Amino acid sequence: MKCEYCDIVDRKSRLQILYEDNDLIVAVKDTVLTPGQVTIFPRQHFTIMEMVPENILEKCFILANKVGAAIFDSLECQGTNIIVQNGLSAGQKVPHFALEVIPRRDGDNLNFQWQPKELAEDEVELVYQMLKEEVGKIVKSKDGKKGKVKEVEEVVVKDEKTLMKMQKEDEKNYLLKSLRRIP
Amino acid sequence: MQELSEEQRKQLEEKLKNMSPEELRDFQKQQCIFCQIISDKVPSKKIYEDESCVAVLDINPAAKGHMFILPKEHYIVMPQIPDKIVSRMFLVARNLSQVLLKVLRVDGTNIFVANGLAAGQRSQHFMIHLIPRKAEDGLLKIEEKLLDQEMLKKIKLAVENRLNHVLGIKKEVVTENNVDKVSEEELEENADDTDEADEVEDKEEVEERKEKSEEPEKKHERKKSKGEKEVSLDDIANLFK
Repeated sequence: MKCEYCDIVDRKSRLQILYEDNDLIVAVKDTVLTPGQVTIFPRQHFTIMEMVPENILEKCFILANKVGAAIFDSLECQGTNIIVQNGLSAGQKVPHFALEVIPRRDGDNLNFQWQPKELAEDEVELVYQMLKEEVGKIVKSKDGKKGKVKEVEEVVVKDEKTLMKMQKEDEKNYLLKSLRRIP
Repeated sequence: MQELSEEQRKQLEEKLKNMSPEELRDFQKQQCIFCQIISDKVPSKKIYEDESCVAVLDINPAAKGHMFILPKEHYIVMPQIPDKIVSRMFLVARNLSQVLLKVLRVDGTNIFVANGLAAGQRSQHFMIHLIPRKAEDGLLKIEEKLLDQEMLKKIKLAVENRLNHVLGIKKEVVTENNVDKVSEEELEENADDTDEADEVEDKEEVEERKEKSEEPEKKHERKKSKGEKEVSLDDIANLFK
């Protein structure tokens, strides 16, 4: 009973639920942008996308693809949007990772378009270099792990406790940043 | 899109009709700027690349750091894409979202996918937008309103049956009224097309409309009645004019 979505998971009334399995729920929320909007979220409570384990995240998006197709057929709309609001400033209202599948029609008065921003060339170049560097580091470290599997495993076992401590601290910091107040 | 004269258009149509599926695919690739970006024929700011997808900084960004993830294969909409590639692309999106949070020190990211012109799809090559967000930046405003209970029931009925069908679950959702399709008039704010209301009852016509809306579904069982028909290039080209 941590949040609105956990409530849907626990709820005895299954009126809102369209599909559920061991990991995921597909449901219709109380408040929506447009009729036909469907929300997909994991049963387990994860605040943001970065915290969701890979296997569950994969299932989420594969299911979203199928739900999109089902909505397109059954509601005879002309398109679908899939949106993830990750973090408070991204519009996340419930602190439980979820994705929205939204049916679209011509003239539905929904506008997700953005005005392209004029950014200075050097600013863009700087961002590009910074992002590339960070991605490069991650790819390297993953490649490195592949080569030296045994050694890495031993290290992990020894430092597991410190690793978990570090992860918890990171989580806390992130939570503090992105979630100001939870009622 | 290039401006073609009537004659040039007719010639092109003839050419397209005589092409084999492979030739059509190659033709599509040549016309698609994103396929050209992927094959480095057009310069771009690539952030990440692997066997199935590429992440590129958007040159018309909604915000600093806005990027999109493209499948290396040319797909137009998500239902066309195999599950493996879908999951790979979104995992990459998740990891890149984490990079954005760390490097740009923003406190939120949006993942945005548009399937179809009506959904705001601007290119013929499927892409996942990853947009870094800051408070009050005015992007992707989503204002939700309460959903009427009656509407909820109708939607549940319509979508659940279809979803079970797509997922291969044998379960029929039935109510007293036995309504299995939501009437379009109730969902549409501007019901200007009386033709559309007729199409609701006719499954055959629904399939035609589906093709026009550029979402072919290869695994779709209903297609058995019409055979394996792919969306023609003309239909797609017409939509983007």
